[in-house]
Amino acid sequence: MSMSDISKIPLRDIDFTDETFSVNFMVHLERLRSSMKKVGLIQPVLVREKHSRYQIVCGFRRGSVCQELGWNEIEARVIHQGEDDLRLFSMSLHDNLTTRGFNSVEVAIALDKLVHHFRMDPPVVIETFLPLFSLETSEKILNTYLSLVSMEDEMKRYIVQEEVSRSNIRRLASMTSEDRMATLSLLSALKLGENRLREVLTLLEETAQRDRRTVREIIALREIQATLSHQNLTPSQRTEKVKKALLTLRYPRLSQLQETFETKRKGLNLPSGLSLQHPAFFEAKGVKIELQCETLEEYQSLVSSLSLLQEKEEFQEMLTSSDQSKRPE
Amino acid sequence: MTAFKFQRIFIDEEAERDEAAQILLRNLPTVPVERIRDKKPLIKQFSDLTDPLAEGKKFLLVTRFYGRRLKPCPGTSNHLCCGYYVINAITNCPMDCSYCVLQTYLTNPLLTLYSNWDDMLGEIEDFLSLKPQFLVRLGTGELSDSLALDRIFPLSQVLIPFFAERKNGILELKTKSAEISHLLSLDHRDRTVVSWSLNPPRIIEKEEIDTASLEQRIEAARRCQEKGYLLGFHFDPIIYHEGWEEGYRETIVSLFQQIDPKRVAWISLGGFRYPPQLKTISRERFPKTRIFLGELFPGKDAKFRYLKDIRVEMYQKMAQWLREEDPTLFIYLCMESQEVWNQVFGWSPRNSSHLNQIFEERLRELLSQREQGASRGHLQSD
Repeated sequence: MSMSDISKIPLRDIDFTDETFSVNFMVHLERLRSSMKKVGLIQPVLVREKHSRYQIVCGFRRGSVCQELGWNEIEARVIHQGEDDLRLFSMSLHDNLTTRGFNSVEVAIALDKLVHHFRMDPPVVIETFLPLFSLETSEKILNTYLSLVSMEDEMKRYIVQEEVSRSNIRRLASMTSEDRMATLSLLSALKLGENRLREVLTLLEETAQRDRRTVREIIALREIQATLSHQNLTPSQRTEKVKKALLTLRYPRLSQLQETFETKRKGLNLPSGLSLQHPAFFEAKGVKIELQCETLEEYQSLVSSLSLLQEKEEFQEMLTSSDQSKRPE
Repeated sequence: MTAFKFQRIFIDEEAERDEAAQILLRNLPTVPVERIRDKKPLIKQFSDLTDPLAEGKKFLLVTRFYGRRLKPCPGTSNHLCCGYYVINAITNCPMDCSYCVLQTYLTNPLLTLYSNWDDMLGEIEDFLSLKPQFLVRLGTGELSDSLALDRIFPLSQVLIPFFAERKNGILELKTKSAEISHLLSLDHRDRTVVSWSLNPPRIIEKEEIDTASLEQRIEAARRCQEKGYLLGFHFDPIIYHEGWEEGYRETIVSLFQQIDPKRVAWISLGGFRYPPQLKTISRERFPKTRIFLGELFPGKDAKFRYLKDIRVEMYQKMAQWLREEDPTLFIYLCMESQEVWNQVFGWSPRNSSHLNQIFEERLRELLSQREQGASRGHLQSD
């Protein structure tokens, strides 16, 4: 590769609008700015001659801080015209990987450029570049990142900030843009980890598909919106309420059973220390009774309450007869 | 010869001389053939593809099976199982049902045909000789469809005559196809039950890709019944969907417009159930599938099933509609708990052995009816 020694070039000669080799998204320049203010530019940038100006190959963030700091010149190595674009892009990716790494949107931009700008065959991208980003060589993974590129910037920012997983990116990618933006407004009001996010997205997607409605129509439902507009709820409380509302929409029969059980349980007026639970998903028969006490007196009192349960109609309804009929002849 | 199109036949050198392999090659004269010495790299090559299952269905691998081919139906813990035995003669299936559990556990994605039929028959013979006092039910429909490939790989022509000579074995050929041409001329002697998995036309069209239509299945069943075969029907998986009542009710009515219920050996009911891995795989392969949109929850065996109330409702209604056609139909639940049996039928087998015993009684009753009919026929002709 034909490259000059380090020299100083005027900043005004660099075309900062040319982002051929850039994959930056949501760059954080504070630390770099502070460092460059104190000790100047340690590592020169790499530029390529472009007509009478230069395009940046490596060092977009450094160039940008130089501009901010009002410097007139920047130290650079210059590559002469004619060098292969794909090779330079690959060099830029390697350079960034050794210095700062990439967020998921930047990986997506890089892969998208390889496929769509540099016209590389997807199987070659999978074999050559996915391992560079420590990813498994799979078409599914490539497609996940390619789908991320076409998402709205607001959603991309959410994905980077919340470090959203690939499986959840796929769920978001399967939505229309309108649905995704409505989903973003919901997600931003909640406090979700990765698993909760998966749960919420799945509930939204499946309820919408089952009811032949859009995701945004589900989000616009009164039971969801009422929770979102409730001012006195903490994000965690809001999350719980929204999740419960979504579960009721998605699983109406189960919710009905839970509600009926809860009504009966409340009707029993159980003392604290005595709890009743139904079997998981009401698959098995009966109830689980839990007794918790610290003193002998507490124990005696709970046992006494327990013995009275059989008189109550609600409790009788929770238990079924053990009779088993024989096969009719 | 068959509606399925195959791109290539891979034939294991060891299998090449087997008669079954020769029959297959004769039946598919235009399909390119590639001889292989080691199938492992081939299987690895297909397993690495983006959709190994879809690709694997387009290629046939003919090889020999070494090891036990006859196994008890895997069943599931805490549920009543009918004591059925599974014969592994083909693995994978040319049809492509969105709910098919094979998607989760086949490590070899190629449609694989085992050509050492003599070994298979020997194994069945040995197995039956150990159980002379029982009437054992065995079937080939667990790891593939029993008849879908019968025109090119005519296992039925070997198995049906084999079972016709056995006193204590009943073969069940379970299918979603209408490939019965080989069956019609065989002397089955009531030792083969031909059974169809049934669903409403809407489910067949959307979720059972490349299978025969309901109409074709019923017509094939009618023709088999005409030739004296005992029939079985499996409403499994029953899928709870918008309009399910109308769909299944009409399916039952259509069935018994063509079929005499008195010669139906059994009818099973089984709600859709799936291991946790299936959902991801199936939704990727069938993005429009609606089968996972019901209220399905994990049980003790980790499999997802409809909420019990929903299953009971489905089974009760299905049983009622079936009994309206004929109150003497033998209906059973596939892989359900005693509690569900009790709620649906008002009684339950004591355990899986008891259910197996009930099956034996049913078969003996049907076989004796036939024998009585045959002897009456002799008397009349005398």
